[in-house]
Amino acid sequence: MGNFLSMLFTTDFFYSIFRISAPVLFATLGAVVVEKAGFANIGLEGMMMVSALFGSLSAYWSGSWLVGVLAAVLVGIFMGLFMGFFAFKLRTDVILTGIAVNMIGGGGTLFLVNVITNLTEGSAMASTTSLITQKLQIPTVEIPLLKSVPVLGPIFSGHSVLTYLAFFMVFCTWFMLYKTPLGLNIRSVGENPNAAASVGVSVSGIRYIAIAFSGAMAGFGGAFMSMYYSMGWSQDMVAGRGFIALAAQAMGNGEPLGSMLSALLFGFAQALGVKVSAVGVDSNLVSPIPYVVTILGLVVFALLARKRHRKKLVVK
Amino acid sequence: MKKLIAMLLALTLVLSLCACGTSGGKTQGDAPKDKVYNVCNLVNGNLGDKSFFDSAEAGLKQLKDAGRITYKTIEMGGLDSDQPKWLSTLYEVSDSKEYDLIVCGTYQMPEYLDEVAAKYPDQHYLIYDSEATQPNVVNINYKQNDMGYLVGVFAACMTTDTSLKNINEDAVLGFVGGMDSPVINDFLYGFITGAQSVNPDVKVDTRYTNDYVNTAGAKEYGLSMINDNKCDIIWGVAGNAGNGAAEAALETGKAWYIGVDSDQELTFSEDLAAITLTSGLKNIGQSLVWFFDELDAGKEHWGENILLGIAEGGVGIVTDKNYNTYASEETQRKVGDAMKAIMKGEITVPTAIGEETGALEALRDSVRP
Repeated sequence: MGNFLSMLFTTDFFYSIFRISAPVLFATLGAVVVEKAGFANIGLEGMMMVSALFGSLSAYWSGSWLVGVLAAVLVGIFMGLFMGFFAFKLRTDVILTGIAVNMIGGGGTLFLVNVITNLTEGSAMASTTSLITQKLQIPTVEIPLLKSVPVLGPIFSGHSVLTYLAFFMVFCTWFMLYKTPLGLNIRSVGENPNAAASVGVSVSGIRYIAIAFSGAMAGFGGAFMSMYYSMGWSQDMVAGRGFIALAAQAMGNGEPLGSMLSALLFGFAQALGVKVSAVGVDSNLVSPIPYVVTILGLVVFALLARKRHRKKLVVK
Repeated sequence: MKKLIAMLLALTLVLSLCACGTSGGKTQGDAPKDKVYNVCNLVNGNLGDKSFFDSAEAGLKQLKDAGRITYKTIEMGGLDSDQPKWLSTLYEVSDSKEYDLIVCGTYQMPEYLDEVAAKYPDQHYLIYDSEATQPNVVNINYKQNDMGYLVGVFAACMTTDTSLKNINEDAVLGFVGGMDSPVINDFLYGFITGAQSVNPDVKVDTRYTNDYVNTAGAKEYGLSMINDNKCDIIWGVAGNAGNGAAEAALETGKAWYIGVDSDQELTFSEDLAAITLTSGLKNIGQSLVWFFDELDAGKEHWGENILLGIAEGGVGIVTDKNYNTYASEETQRKVGDAMKAIMKGEITVPTAIGEETGALEALRDSVRP
């Protein structure tokens, strides 16, 4: 037990929480904005898969990680608009469209990687692991001054560019939603599309913007997965992070800050799981830890919300 | 009742086949020994995978060059959309009756093979690294525990060789497995016993990713092994996810990686290949050669599930490239000795398959750092 605690209170444990949370956080922000616009983007997982693939391929072709990240974001935006076209223009169910995107993310990427690179499946599953070298990975940044502070330095300094961007985007998203006319429009479309339309807001235009934003965030998340977290894309590598993001969004009550805290909670739970496995706990008990924590979090959140609601009733 | 009939039918089928087999054997005894077999090699993917398919092709080419077989390889493609083609191709080549043996492999094929093999009871089939159920199919699988033993011997020698960069003085090895399941644990059982044969005090940190796709998750386990328990060599046996352990070793610059199944130095990017010491191998090609050796010796294995180990050349370890560069002479000698000892039967590597006494679990816990 002492051994376990000494492993837990290390700087690399807290450092790893941010690394684990970052891709989930990107997708969570995507989920937050579409939810504010009044619908749900179930397809985050698939969007991340496709962006991860094209991010790593573009980085390989261009020899530059930056091009890879931009390509991933563009592909994410394209996927978002594509989803929007079906959901808003052709009036398909947005949930079903999201499921279709997830299927593209699973099987379609495998098809694409085979067509594009001619990498074959063979005994192992296809991947672009052979293409991404360290030079093509998203670089890490040491923050001057902070890095030399004991304890805080090793925890907060030395993360990848995208990790910092993820947390910066929380602020940007909040600012966009609450301090700009666009944010007001997004929220009003989400609250009451008819009312928004009556004052001249283009409801479908706002929805397109929201889903494109969510695609861009999924693109960043995908790029993080295939160009920093792992080297290259491999099948199903996003491994449910897009779905965890939906849970984080719900747990954070749909607000950027709250959702960030939920994403961090998930990151903490997974980091904890890794340390728990180090002391020999059965792997079948370790791997559900992030999900159990997520469910417990949801329960606690629901109880608190109910209490608050009751108090309000009493005051009235 | 249905089951009973089915079983009776199966029994008669097997019996009739046995009859066929023995009579076939007799005629073969009379026939010239150097019968040239015509083989069809079905690849449910494409050649150039630097893995199982290329290995099978190399084995067949070796047999062809020795004048023992003629063969034709059909690349059927490895996509989901190609799967209907696998079945139709199987039907086509079986129907042509041109081939003495039809070879295929991997976990994706048994379902198709079972369907076709049942309809062509006179046609012979071979499937590698998987298992079908028909009496006219020979199933070739590989002793993961033998492979694990060799890798264990090698890793235990290397982990204290501090003259090599990234190696610390602690004898701690890492194992990232896909699932806590008998097949994965078979690798592990050999790995631990092999490592202990070199150094009884060696520690092995075992983690399971619980899937075969979450590379980033495996990387987290790898980082924890390296940072918390000072592992300096990690063996990844978790499909694509296992590569995450290699990435952890590369990122920290404090550890080496060992690959599995095929020579991963060939399939990795140069950075990852540079920190891959060796790979445990399933020698598909050698196992095909072994099969024809048996056939020529008059031993037929139709309907059997054969496990090939080191003695038959079915499994091994990559001994060129990084292995040759970094392993000391003494290490190479110890690995060679272990290989010989297993071949002679002086060492029997325990297996996790069918092991229910909890011995492996106890061993795994006792070597935890």
